[in-house]
Amino acid sequence: MARRHFPDMLLGLAPILMLIALWQVIVWSGTAPVALLPSPFSVFARFSAQLLRPEFHHEIAATLMRLFAGFAIAVVLGVSIGLAAAVKPVVDAVVKPLVRILAPVPKVALYPALLLTLGFDHASKISLVAADALFPILLATYYGASMVEQKLIWSAMAAGTPRAQIIWKIVLPASLPSILTGCRIGLVISSIVVFLAEMITSTDGLGHMLVQAARTFQTVDMFVPLITISLLGLILNAALHLLRRYLLKGFAEI
Amino acid sequence: MIAVENVSHRFETSGRQSHLALDDITLEITDGAFVSILGPSGCGKSTLLYIIGGFVKPTGGVARVQGRAITGPGPDRGPVFQEFALFPWKTVLGNVMYGPRQQRIPRAEAEVQVRRLIDMVGLKGYENFYPKELSGGMKQRVAIARTLAYNPSVLLMDEPFGALDAHTRTRLQNDLLNIWERDRKTVLFVTHAVDEAVFLSDKVIVMTRSPGRIKTIIDIDLPRPRKRAELLLDARYQNYVVAIERLIDDTGIDEAAR
Ligand SMILES: Nc1ncnc2c1ncn2[C@@H]1O[C@H](COP(=O)(O)OP(=O)(O)OP(=O)(O)O)[C@@H](O)[C@H]1O
Ligand SMILES: [Mg+2]
Repeated sequence: MARRHFPDMLLGLAPILMLIALWQVIVWSGTAPVALLPSPFSVFARFSAQLLRPEFHHEIAATLMRLFAGFAIAVVLGVSIGLAAAVKPVVDAVVKPLVRILAPVPKVALYPALLLTLGFDHASKISLVAADALFPILLATYYGASMVEQKLIWSAMAAGTPRAQIIWKIVLPASLPSILTGCRIGLVISSIVVFLAEMITSTDGLGHMLVQAARTFQTVDMFVPLITISLLGLILNAALHLLRRYLLKGFAEI
Repeated sequence: MIAVENVSHRFETSGRQSHLALDDITLEITDGAFVSILGPSGCGKSTLLYIIGGFVKPTGGVARVQGRAITGPGPDRGPVFQEFALFPWKTVLGNVMYGPRQQRIPRAEAEVQVRRLIDMVGLKGYENFYPKELSGGMKQRVAIARTLAYNPSVLLMDEPFGALDAHTRTRLQNDLLNIWERDRKTVLFVTHAVDEAVFLSDKVIVMTRSPGRIKTIIDIDLPRPRKRAELLLDARYQNYVVAIERLIDDTGIDEAAR
């Protein structure tokens, strides 16, 4: 298995390396002044230097904490509301119009209001992340749970599972493939939104680092948080992928 | 006893028409009887089984077990679905363990019985396989074992041997007869194979093409325990098979004439 995945990984690395090479070529060609577009080498050198500094760890920790907290809230709410709506027509009747109205709203438009009510600290950013990641997870759960094969439920009921437990014992595991797909989308959105929120107002975090650097024209420092967040995204996605492989062992290829 | 009294079922279909799947079915199945249902595809055999299982509420009439109207599923009636309906997130062992665990049988005790059942359906060594890793026939055997595991007094089997090769089919027919002779479960058995129905049953119900009605009920008066090798040579057995096959052909002609 590991041997077979190895070339795949190399193949995945190739476009990233090409992108970095292209970046270097643009720098060399001189189309963009070095003051605006620093070379990848200076950026990676600065990134490595930063990795040793506790201040930088603090920024990463602040961003990750907000990201995870918001994402976790979105998963809990999205999965429970999605399941409940799929199983209980009453809940569906209430949730459906709300989702239709709220899902297309750009959540960032709510950010000023969140700042005023929740303050400039973590809570407002976490809420914004949760609000944005919620809908893809909720919708994926809802559709997954609505499509659970009827006979799985019947089989469980015949075996003596009370109706109230069907949702946890059958509907939830049966819709797991769909739920995890929603989570994957939610996680990408979470990393985008946490950065965005920190760029708008914050006193720490990677987004704040970028804005600080931009204000003082420190272009090299501007690129450091950027590659940090994309690396974090890569790592989180890989972690989720492993979790998915583990949880979905029994399901057809996904 | 299972009593089906004037049961009809009408499905609302998407094209805002409705479809009469079952029309005025009345039948009685005594405890411990082995009853087969034969009929052309789409005549409502599965629907009738779902109604007795309590999964579908009939739009007309009433079905009863031991005198009480059926209001929902219960572990006294164990279905084996045509589509297997195995839990994809559970292994073979996990699937078969499900029922006993729901019945709160201690894990260790349940596992002993469950492993024996898995062995009986010929899947020893496959305990840790997931359903997606099994062939159609193997899935079907897991589904049978999963239902037998919680020991229902009535088995509702919807073409349970449909996806099996001739050899495994014969073996499982014998195993089912053995279980039935030992535990005297009531078995309602849907099949398309006339010889299988005659070999296994006390009674064979032949249904008409849709809307499903009961065409005839034939008592199979053959000695038990039944031995396949002897039965195949028995003129009475052969007569039943031929007679029922002829009846089913007629059912087909009915449809063509309409
Ligand atoms: N959920 C449903 N909605 C609408 N019509 C249905 C539904 N389920 C079954 N039917 C119709 O009811 C009739 C009986 O279906 P059923 O599945 O009981 O047939 P069957 O005798 O089991 O057929 P087969 O031998 O092919 O399994 C069919 O004509 C089918 O189209
Ligand atoms: Mg059927």
